[in-house]
Amino acid sequence: MLRKADTSATWAAIISLVLFFIGGILTTVVPPLVDTTWAKPFENADPAKGPTGKLTPLNELQLQGRQIYIREGCWYCHTQQTRTLLADTKRSGWKGVDSPVSTPDEFVYDDPHLFGTKRTGPDLSRVGGKYDEQWHRTHFRNPRDLVPGSIMPPYPWLVEDAAEFKAIVAYMQTLGRAKDWRPDNDYEE
Amino acid sequence: MADYTWPSIYFAYSYFVLMVLGALVFLIRTVKDGYWGARGEDVKYQVFDSHEEREEGRTS
Amino acid sequence: MQEQISRAEIAGGAAPSGALVHEDTTAKWFLVSSVAYFFIVGIVAVVIAAKFVWPELMSTIPAMGYGRLRPLHVNGMLFGWLLAADMALTYYLIPRLCGVRLWSETLGKATAILWNAIILGAVVSLLMGWNQGLEYAELPLPLDVAVVVAWIMYGFNLFMTISQRRYPAMYVSIWYVMGTILWTAFVYLTGNFAVLFTTGVNQANLNWMYVHNAVGLIFTPVGLALAYYFIPKASNTPLYSHKLSMIGFWSLAFVYVWTGAHHMLHGPISQWLQTIAIAFSVMLLIPVWAAVYNFFATMKGQWHQLRDNVPLKFLMSGVVFYLLTCFQGPMHSLRAVNAIVSKTDWIPGHAHMAVLGAFSFFAIAGAYYMVPRVWGKQLYSDSLANWSYWMWMIGGIGFFVTLWLGGFWQGWQWNNPAIPFIDTVVALEPVWLVRFFSGILMFAGILFFSYNILATVLGEKPKPTAA
Repeated sequence: MLRKADTSATWAAIISLVLFFIGGILTTVVPPLVDTTWAKPFENADPAKGPTGKLTPLNELQLQGRQIYIREGCWYCHTQQTRTLLADTKRSGWKGVDSPVSTPDEFVYDDPHLFGTKRTGPDLSRVGGKYDEQWHRTHFRNPRDLVPGSIMPPYPWLVEDAAEFKAIVAYMQTLGRAKDWRPDNDYEE
Repeated sequence: MADYTWPSIYFAYSYFVLMVLGALVFLIRTVKDGYWGARGEDVKYQVFDSHEEREEGRTS
Repeated sequence: MQEQISRAEIAGGAAPSGALVHEDTTAKWFLVSSVAYFFIVGIVAVVIAAKFVWPELMSTIPAMGYGRLRPLHVNGMLFGWLLAADMALTYYLIPRLCGVRLWSETLGKATAILWNAIILGAVVSLLMGWNQGLEYAELPLPLDVAVVVAWIMYGFNLFMTISQRRYPAMYVSIWYVMGTILWTAFVYLTGNFAVLFTTGVNQANLNWMYVHNAVGLIFTPVGLALAYYFIPKASNTPLYSHKLSMIGFWSLAFVYVWTGAHHMLHGPISQWLQTIAIAFSVMLLIPVWAAVYNFFATMKGQWHQLRDNVPLKFLMSGVVFYLLTCFQGPMHSLRAVNAIVSKTDWIPGHAHMAVLGAFSFFAIAGAYYMVPRVWGKQLYSDSLANWSYWMWMIGGIGFFVTLWLGGFWQGWQWNNPAIPFIDTVVALEPVWLVRFFSGILMFAGILFFSYNILATVLGEKPKPTAA
């Protein structure tokens, strides 16, 4: 058998594909079948089971904003996941309340997903409702006007196009709002 | 979320057994197929084009 | 064994009787275009490194924004430079290992043209912001289809060559190239097509299976194929062990594909899947050490050759970087380490050491070895080649080491929620400045390398007619 794989390219090809597919299928096709929470949109009405709320699909305007977020590559520097680390839940928190960790059921409608791999800027998984439109307008024009020391590039063309600006802000205000976890008062004063 | 503690322990042990059995099977096959014989390493001289270069490589 | 030479080496004269003459046109075309993209995308690389230090640099032009140049840098380096260079070198070494001509030079040339069209299309679409929003899979769908077509053309050509080979037993490089062709096909289909039918975490899982295996099952096996061929060739020493190389190959074939979920450790994905990914990430040490030991043992008693053999310098430094990067990988897959380094600047440090430090070094060594032979000329300048090595080495180490240290600082600061996020950004500024200067040095390496190759190809320094 080994000799055959050593001298016959067909055998070698077949065996290397079989080995590849064992791991390939067990880690890509099987997990969503085993863990059904990946595909079930978040919904909870019972406060005893954790934060209540319901995940709703984005509307037309918010989806448009999401496209801009993708086009400008925001997701290269901003992750969208509050990980199971204490510091993450504090950093994503709001007015002294820790944020719940991100769970798969909060991202069911995300296509493409924007979890991200690099956190050059802060995580945005719970940013919705924290900063108002005027804050975002100033910040997109020049981030350093609001956050000295920031290295985020300015995005003046987003502010100048009123429709695009409205869309991207509308999208960002949805982030992390499926779970109703925090004090009511929106926006930084 | 469901508790997968026991299934993962069963998985880990059976996986380990499977790997050991696989290693044994392949060890026996390599002996049968002559991998440990005198010509078992011949293939590596194929990178050298000419006969002389090949012989040189073998002796150095 | 039969003598094998390149068409250009006989310079219009008659081939020695009984020698096998290779045309090598496809290899030449791929190599020249890959070196050109290396240079162009190298400029982009320096620009985005500069943007970390001067964020307002060119920031009022949408097409020059960081978010558009970064995917251009990643895709351009991976597919424009490295994969194209790897393809060029496999078009060179597979026919030689099989003792036959390439199955079809015409098909090969068509593949080269299609590949260049894809890269140019990628440059336009990424600068325009036509981005699919999936890492490594940013290219719009028509280009994805073209990549698949080009890959089938490439794979078919090489498999036909392998099926006609003169020696039944296959050298380890042939194994790795076959593995690369087959695995890449399925990894690419998963990352670029299967993801279109899924959403959320399920899609992320497929995406990261692709992202991880783009390195693990595309650049790793083809890079090792180059190392297994060029280390014995450049040092004129036979490989230490064929058997050991087989253990490396089969363990890589089995283990690599499982590890995609380690990109989501602590993230919103099932814990048991994370654990599986961690276990298999640690097992990656087996194929890595099998290969690295083999290379070191091959060099036993031959290390003195590193003094003046430039391709060998690149190859063996590449092996060391490969060992380091593949030690980092399993280590930062462990939950405790991952909690510190994940999402920090450690990650680009690690990724650059794999793709630049290891696999690009192998490809550069291959290019320095192959170019004089297929063009039948002498290398333009050995000393310039040496300079390119040291520029890359110093720049590379500066880049890797500062980003690892910076990544750890960053991670420790993030894990202390008392520190405001912006302070962790400001703290990293010196790190990014060093990264920029290291980038300049590495770009000098690219400049010296590409000029050397260009001057060799266009120059008139004929090969000394060896006896």
